Amino acid sequence: MAYRWGMAVDIDKCTGCEACVTACHAENNIPTVGAGQASRGRAMHWIRVERYYEGSFPDVRLKFRPVLCQQCDNAPCEAVCPTYAAHQNEDGLNAQVYNRCIGTRYCANACTYNVRFFNFFNPEWPKPLHLQLNPDVSIREVGVMEKCTFCVQRIKAAKTEATAAQRELVDGALQPACAQACPTTAIIFGDLNDPESRVARLARSPRGTKLLEDLGAEPKITYLQKQPWHEPDAY
Amino acid sequence: MASPSRKIGRAWPNWALAILGLVTVTTAACTFASPGQPSGMAERSRWGTSAVFTPAHATAGDAIAAFFDSRPDTVAQPFDFSHQIHLGKGAVCTDCHTGVEQGPRAGIPTVNTCMICHSQIATDRPLIIKLAEMQEKGLDLAWNRVYDYQPQAHVRFNHAPHVRAEVACSTCHGNQAEQTVARRAVDMNMAFCVNCHKAKQVSNDCLTCHY
Repeated sequence: MAYRWGMAVDIDKCTGCEACVTACHAENNIPTVGAGQASRGRAMHWIRVERYYEGSFPDVRLKFRPVLCQQCDNAPCEAVCPTYAAHQNEDGLNAQVYNRCIGTRYCANACTYNVRFFNFFNPEWPKPLHLQLNPDVSIREVGVMEKCTFCVQRIKAAKTEATAAQRELVDGALQPACAQACPTTAIIFGDLNDPESRVARLARSPRGTKLLEDLGAEPKITYLQKQPWHEPDAY
Repeated sequence: MASPSRKIGRAWPNWALAILGLVTVTTAACTFASPGQPSGMAERSRWGTSAVFTPAHATAGDAIAAFFDSRPDTVAQPFDFSHQIHLGKGAVCTDCHTGVEQGPRAGIPTVNTCMICHSQIATDRPLIIKLAEMQEKGLDLAWNRVYDYQPQAHVRFNHAPHVRAEVACSTCHGNQAEQTVARRAVDMNMAFCVNCHKAKQVSNDCLTCHY
């Protein structure tokens, strides 16, 4: 049976430490563009931690929400791509094929969650960071769109390993970099097709909500929280 | 008086010179915006044109070369290592390319690997004496890759699953027993990979190879 990769993020557990952001940058060869270009909206973070303040001083409560590609079942980015660079693959991943991308940036405009990033430059890393690049991940050049892949290189490696050992993938054996780095295990990753996997159980939890659910993109990431989200206090 | 420059001016009107100049500059820009992995990054312009000229070719030069099928199939090596002799003596591929069953890279043998056999065999040959000296000094040979893919192809390849699926080495690398120095005997393009994946009914999803 095909896999259907999904994620559950426990907002009550998230401390906003941004270890996931750092881990993602290191794992996926994501370049930094510097302060000047970042202020022009050209920074690339496949995962970001959004901050929300609740209440008024001195009774302020901070909430953090890690936002990454929601790997939507009904993804708005896929419908607008003229070259099928963005498409749904057999494992339910929202795939981005760099070879096909011609850089129209329609997908980034269509994306509800602002998690697609355009390479305005050829990537550069200050020395000696150019020596720590992950050989299992492409270096994306100027003019292509990129986004969270759910660490597809790890999925691929785990699948290959499982096939070699002639067994099924075990739940929890495979983690994307963000989930691996999370000190409070707020991020849980797994197969939604397996009803007994941790992520499938969390996705059924009454604490679960989807991000901007009413827009109908059908995201595969479930956010868990005890208290309802207070949108008016979101700034 | 007709100076040579005036003659050229008459033969080539200004608009033609302008177009010629534009073409030259564009071609140069395409050629110098060389794409690649970190090693090649120093040459690239941060503001340059896209490294991908077409999805298949990095530069206009590459596209023309591919059209005329003029890609050289040999690569300069430190010395002319003969696969033919070694395979003829009963060695098998995995004796030297030891990584092929374990992971992505087959691996190019080091001098130490050569000396496993050659500390005993053919020790009087000049090349082997040279190898023995290199091993003593801790030096290694700078072999060059024969088969490679361009970084902008964004292709990942893992040898191990292919070996497990019993794809013969010669399917992709040609019959090395007939070759002396390894050369590019098989043209590995995407159709070559996809056809085999179709025939063996394995995944042809883009993310199988491109990520």
